[in-house]
Amino acid sequence: MKLDTKSLVLMAVAIVINVVVGQIAVWIKLPLYVDAVGTVLVGILAGPFAGALTGVLTNLIWGLISDPVAAAFFPVSLVIGALAGILARMGWFKSVGMTIAAGAVIGVISTIVAVPIIVYMFGGVTGAGTDFATAYLLAVGQELVQSVAIANLVQNLADKILTCLIAWLIVKRLPMRFTSGFAFYGYSKA
Amino acid sequence: MAVARPNGADHALLYVPGRSFLHRLNPLTKLALVLWCAVAAFALPPQGTIPLALLAIAVGIFAGAGKVFARRLIFTLTPLALALFVVHGMLVDHEGARAAVLGLDLSHDGLAYMVRILGRIAALLSGSLLFVCTTHPARLLKALDSHNFPPGMAYVIASPLLLLEPFTQRARAIREAQMARGLDLQGSFLTRARAFPALLMPLVTLALADIDHRAQVLDGRGFRAMPHRTVLDAPADSGAQRAARWIIVLSIPVLIAGGILWH
Repeated sequence: MKLDTKSLVLMAVAIVINVVVGQIAVWIKLPLYVDAVGTVLVGILAGPFAGALTGVLTNLIWGLISDPVAAAFFPVSLVIGALAGILARMGWFKSVGMTIAAGAVIGVISTIVAVPIIVYMFGGVTGAGTDFATAYLLAVGQELVQSVAIANLVQNLADKILTCLIAWLIVKRLPMRFTSGFAFYGYSKA
Repeated sequence: MAVARPNGADHALLYVPGRSFLHRLNPLTKLALVLWCAVAAFALPPQGTIPLALLAIAVGIFAGAGKVFARRLIFTLTPLALALFVVHGMLVDHEGARAAVLGLDLSHDGLAYMVRILGRIAALLSGSLLFVCTTHPARLLKALDSHNFPPGMAYVIASPLLLLEPFTQRARAIREAQMARGLDLQGSFLTRARAFPALLMPLVTLALADIDHRAQVLDGRGFRAMPHRTVLDAPADSGAQRAARWIIVLSIPVLIAGGILWH
């Protein structure tokens, strides 16, 4: 699949947006990652293939520049980008209510992909705040996989709903002169 | 989804300028080594991954990146070690003996599992740091171009690496400007959450505003007019390095088989 130059530039900028917005979330000590805004943005504007590629490259590049462990989570970002594009194609980014539903779907499915990586590659921990929830659930008698799944599902749902809402708000504020260059965006117009 | 980001993540690039042997290697040779380290981190037991991590750290220090290695390893491994100690050492019901140490009921197998995971992450992290600390993104782009990588793909990989530093600076400038206008980044959770759009929106709007112009400049230069680009000052490569890359890649199945046997 050959992408046009504007989509390529959008993907490159979206990767940077993912990384820098993730840094802003750290600056303000937000208990969420919010590191897929660019990926969802590309999914809405340029489709599932461009979204998935943006997701994969974000994690690989993040791994190359500052956090090599992030590279292990590239399948999660792939799924986020692909799902954002597929849901956009189905018209799920036309209204705020549908966007929240799209965020919930992405949150659930990305958790299903993330849990085996967290459990089998990293022993069930990530070094982040969700480890407290995982430890609590283990202490009250849950199994490791269930504890990791529940702890991450709660965080991921909030994270992906917020991510989709931010991406949706950005897209809605973009001038028509800009969005007219992305034919795929027609599926998300109200 | 990613693991906890180290506090020092403000620095856009971990690259440390230098002229060591590792700096002079072709970036593709170093990428092959990173791939080998990543496979070894998962294929080998702790008796293999810990020496591998120590070797990578020693090479990193030799290449002048000791400080970056120390900071990254401490920021990444410390929270993971604490979480693994609590989760596997104390909470997960591992088979095997348990012992009371300083009033804590610890699982021997759980602690062994903790060491295994930490060894794996240390090997993965230090192997990647060798590449990241000694390879400037511009050199990686030139290496990809000079090996006939499709220009569009090379652009998407290398352009974010080059854009990251200016965008991070722009984000810092927006943060300082908003703080000068009274934005509170240290208050309650609600106050900080309200500050998020004030930092995010100007940055994203500025980033997207450039896209049309960048695309026109690229098209104007005909960057995809030919299937491959010619690089005037491509990173040095040699027959020995090309052979080394093949050996590294071809040894990966052997490494996996050896790891299975070792386990």
